[in-house]
Amino acid sequence: MTEGTDAVDDRFNWGPLVEDLHRRRGQALAMGGPERVERQRSLGKWPVRERLDALLDPGSFVEYGLLADHMDPTLAEKGHFAADGCVTGIGRIDGRRVAVCAYDFTVQAGSMGRVNEFKVTRMRDLVLRQRIPIVWLLDSAGARITSDAGSTFAANGALFREQVTLSGVVPQVAAMVGHCAAGTAYIPALADFVPMVKGTSSMALAGRHLVKAATGEDVTEEEMGGSEVHTKVSGVADREVADDGDCLRVVREYLSFFPSNNTDAPPVAACDDPVDRRVEELYRIVPTAPRRAYDMHKVIDVVVDRRPDGTPDFFEMKAAWARNLVTGLARVGGRPVGIVASNPMVLGGALDVNSADKAARFVWLCDAFGIPLVFLHDVPGFVVGTAVEKQGIIRHGAKMLYAISEATVPKVSIVVRKSYGAGYFVMNGLSYEADYLAVWPAAEIAVMGPDGMVNITMRKHLETFEEGEARNAERIRLAEEFRSNIDPYVAAGHAMVDDVIDPAETRLAIWRGLEVSATKQVQRPWRKHGVLPV
Amino acid sequence: MSTEVRAEITANVWQVPAQPGQQVAEGDELAILESMKMEIPVTAPVSGTVTSVAVAPDDQVVEGDLICVIESD
Repeated sequence: MTEGTDAVDDRFNWGPLVEDLHRRRGQALAMGGPERVERQRSLGKWPVRERLDALLDPGSFVEYGLLADHMDPTLAEKGHFAADGCVTGIGRIDGRRVAVCAYDFTVQAGSMGRVNEFKVTRMRDLVLRQRIPIVWLLDSAGARITSDAGSTFAANGALFREQVTLSGVVPQVAAMVGHCAAGTAYIPALADFVPMVKGTSSMALAGRHLVKAATGEDVTEEEMGGSEVHTKVSGVADREVADDGDCLRVVREYLSFFPSNNTDAPPVAACDDPVDRRVEELYRIVPTAPRRAYDMHKVIDVVVDRRPDGTPDFFEMKAAWARNLVTGLARVGGRPVGIVASNPMVLGGALDVNSADKAARFVWLCDAFGIPLVFLHDVPGFVVGTAVEKQGIIRHGAKMLYAISEATVPKVSIVVRKSYGAGYFVMNGLSYEADYLAVWPAAEIAVMGPDGMVNITMRKHLETFEEGEARNAERIRLAEEFRSNIDPYVAAGHAMVDDVIDPAETRLAIWRGLEVSATKQVQRPWRKHGVLPV
Repeated sequence: MSTEVRAEITANVWQVPAQPGQQVAEGDELAILESMKMEIPVTAPVSGTVTSVAVAPDDQVVEGDLICVIESD
């Protein structure tokens, strides 16, 4: 008996009613029952309510639709579906509100039914009105086909259209914490950030049974759409995480860089790392020999804010895919920035189709939410040749150009070593509304390298020399002549770069770039939207 | 388990430090390619023994060509 409800007389008999409510709540909170919850744990996955406890600030969750059920007469013999298999509501992360839709695999494999979809629709409605982020925890077999098998499907699908409406208005995170197919694989595809738990999650347009029926292919969920595939090969997911706990921690960290919506400013964190800290480590990280490779992560790690524990405040995205370009969120002087950096360690830092794709997507993300961009150039250009042309390098390169051109957030460029041709443009060259462009003393900015230049412009001249030693000597002489014009002080002399900096001043230069462009405003001619190369 | 290490880009082979029979650790340089004005290191994706080397300096490789094979436990 609930305290205080003892019947005074038959006019005040709340006891049974309150009792019944608490029984129903208890039933819903028990999820799919002890056996299925235990099975969930044995698979290495957390029960949905423990996931919410780890994701949200303690005690902050306001649940919507706890008492939902399937409400489908054809499923009557299956009994109660706790919360209809998806827990929804609004809680807080670092004190800021977020809506959550967390599918519960212990209830009908977390399948998407009419009632839980109504609940999730309500969350999409609320986040649009309240302009707060939405987080999906996806552990769902997809649509509950049993209850929607026929052509009533004709009216389905609003969920994706509504997600597109939310895109760039509020942050959207889709955490893959189970094996998801079809509907629950398109949700992440339309979200901004997708972490995947290694070993227990996957996403694919169709589950293995449907694939077997449709094509005869016999594969496991993991082989087809596990974290290995999507973080290393397809680029659909942003980050592989070790387990559920790691995943929820990463979601919280990701959101810490973002405003609640596209009209708020990104949150500024406390920072005790001086913005004018000299970064002399860079003298030992970046070789002056222009052809030598090095790992750009080492540059990023020493330039961005150091957390109190000494680790760099850098959150890399798509780290294992298109590794010739590094993208990630960081803080400089406590301010969130998006870093786009060449990585000479992979493909010499040259851009290919996947890295252009990765960059465009990341720039659109940062630009949508007012996060300034910092470009670290060490790019010999776009990869050339048959292989990349067949992959559509022109189209993908154009997409990167497009994204950089469109972005109106503050854009700071540091040319570390080389920046050639269209590589210089897409990495935010001066003409791309770069707000501050500083170069290192060994910076090479040019349309192409000296050897390419000689072969193209001096071909006829070279043919007048006898083939062999004489022609080679002339080739080398001409290359040296061209090389002497590729000089940061030529660019600086024309004031086409804003400054030549000591490498150790790189952190300060980035900070200054952000400072001077803080009030940036760009007006474009009206249009419905551009025509995007994709 | 044997791991085939393949070229990620069309390139000239510049140096091949890897020798058959050599023990390598993950991250060690197996070969250095030359492409796009850059030296492009090919590093061991796993630790193990190099069982065969498929390229020599001055060879031309295209994306996907075999560089060497590493046998790991």
